[in-house]
Amino acid sequence: MSASERPLPVPDRDSLPWWKALVRHELLLQRCASCDALRWPPRELCNRCGTLDWTWIPASGRGTVASWVVNHHMFGPGFRAPYVVVAVRLDDQDDIVMPGAYWGSGDGTEDGADLAIGLPLEVDFDDIDVPSGSEPITLLRWRPARSMAP
Amino acid sequence: MADALRDKTAIVGVGYTEYSKNSGVSTLTLALRAIRAAIDDAGLAHGDIDGVACHRVGDSVQAVIVAQALGIRDLRYHADMFGGGATSTQVLISASMAVASGLADYVVCWRAINARSEWRMGGTGRAAPDTVEFQYQVPYGFVTPPQQFAMYSHAYMHRHGVTAEDLGRVAIFQRGHAMKNERAMMRGPLTMDDYLASRWIVEPFRLFDCCLETDAAVALIVTSAERARDLRRRPVLVSGAAYGGGHTLFSNQRADLTTTAARELSTRLYASAGIGPADVDVAEFYDAFTPLVLMQLEDFGFCAPGDGAAMVADGATSIGGALPVNTHGGHLSEGYVHGLNHVAEAVAQLRGSCGDRQVDGAEVALSTGQPGYVAGCSSAVVLKKGS
Repeated sequence: MSASERPLPVPDRDSLPWWKALVRHELLLQRCASCDALRWPPRELCNRCGTLDWTWIPASGRGTVASWVVNHHMFGPGFRAPYVVVAVRLDDQDDIVMPGAYWGSGDGTEDGADLAIGLPLEVDFDDIDVPSGSEPITLLRWRPARSMAP
Repeated sequence: MADALRDKTAIVGVGYTEYSKNSGVSTLTLALRAIRAAIDDAGLAHGDIDGVACHRVGDSVQAVIVAQALGIRDLRYHADMFGGGATSTQVLISASMAVASGLADYVVCWRAINARSEWRMGGTGRAAPDTVEFQYQVPYGFVTPPQQFAMYSHAYMHRHGVTAEDLGRVAIFQRGHAMKNERAMMRGPLTMDDYLASRWIVEPFRLFDCCLETDAAVALIVTSAERARDLRRRPVLVSGAAYGGGHTLFSNQRADLTTTAARELSTRLYASAGIGPADVDVAEFYDAFTPLVLMQLEDFGFCAPGDGAAMVADGATSIGGALPVNTHGGHLSEGYVHGLNHVAEAVAQLRGSCGDRQVDGAEVALSTGQPGYVAGCSSAVVLKKGS
C-alpha cells in the first residue's frame, strides 16, 4: 500500500518514548517502582498503588490471543480486506491486552482461519513506509509463537 | 444516599424528528425540531425551558448554541457531555440531578445526529476527539464501533459458546418489534436465512448484527415530580439511576473481555430504585450490536452468565414474553439515536401509548446506555409509571 494512504499513529507526550522504542524493535512496558505492577498504555501514575515513580522495562514479547476480528468491510483507506486485528494478552501480566496486526502467513493476507483464543503468539515489528521527512514508525505485528521456551 | 433521586423527577415531554438516511438539515435544526415537539407534547410554553443537556462526540451542535436558539435568556443549567451511547442516560440523570437540586425547573435533554449523511461513526477512519487510545488502533485499521465491539463480542461468544444463530435470533426478534412500530426504519420481515446470508462486516458480525446509521433527533423534558402532576401527560418518574463502571482494552485492570459495566452498575441501579430485576416489566437495552443484548440480559441479572441466548430463543424477550426487550426495534431496526430513542420508547411504554407493541401492564422500565466497553463507562435508569 502507498505510504500516503495508511493512517499513522499520533503519539502523545506520554507515549512518544514507547513509539520510539518500537522503532528500535523494543516493546516496552512501564513498571511501578513501588508495587512492581506493569502497565500499558503509558500513564504517569500506577493505577494499583498510586505511585508516580516508574521505569521502562522490556516486555517478554510473548502473549496469547485474547480475541480477534476479521475485517471484510473497507472501513477506511490503506487496508486490503480481509485483514485481521488481534488483541494479545501479554504473558508479562494478564490484564494487559494490546491490539496489533496479525502476520500468520507472512504475506499480509489473512483470514484468521489459523487463529484460536488462547493461541500463543510472539511479537514481530513492522517498519512501515512513511512520507519522506516524517519520523519513522514501527508497528506491532504478531505471529504464532515458534517456541514455548522462555 | 443511593435513593436520593428516587421518584423526585419525571419525564413529561418527548419529541422526535423523522428518521431518515439524509435529513438535509443541520444538527441544530434537528435538535430544535425535536425540542419543539417535546415542549408541545408536554403542554409547556416555549419560554418554560431553563436548562439544556446533550451528549455528542464532536458530531453535533453545542448545548449552549441550542439554548441561544431557544431564546433562553437566563440559562440555569447546561451540560454538554462528551460521549457516545454510554452517556445517553447519563444526560438524563444529570438533568434529573439539576432539577432535584433546584438548579433548573424544566431541562430538555436531546441527541441530534446526522449519523448517516454527515458523520458516520469512525467511518472515515478518523478518531473522535479526546480519544487518546486511538493511536494504538488507527494504524492497524481498527477504529470503528463494529470493529471494536466485534473484538469484545468474539471473546464473549467463545466464553459461552454463543453461535451465529444466537445472534441472529436477537436481530430477528427486534425486527418483529419494529414491524409494529410506524417510526421504524426497518419494517420488512427478517428470517434466519436472511440473517445468515447477509454479508460479513467484521467477523463475527454480519450486516444484521449492526445497528442502523440514522439522521434523527430525540428530545425529552425533565421536571420535578411535583410540577409533573399538573402537566398534560401522565408523568414517567425517574426512579433509579446509576452511571460509571465500564472497561476498555486499555483499562489495564480488567482482564475480562466477556462482561459489561452492568456487573457493577446494576447493583447500584436497583438499590437506587428499591427494586430488583424481577420487578422490571420492559427493558430497552442499548443495542449497537446484537451480542450487547445477550450480555445485558445476563449482567443486569435477568439470567445467569451465558444464558442470555437461551432466554432469547425461549421467546422471553419478545412482546408477550417474560421480559420484552427493545420493543421499538432498537438501534438494530428502529433507528439509531444514540440511546435516547430507547429512553423515549420506555416512556411511551409506561404511558401505555405503544399501540400494537404495548407491553400489558408495564409499570417499571429499564433503559440502558452502551454497556461500558469502548467508552469505558456506562449509564442506566429505572423509569416508573407515575400517577
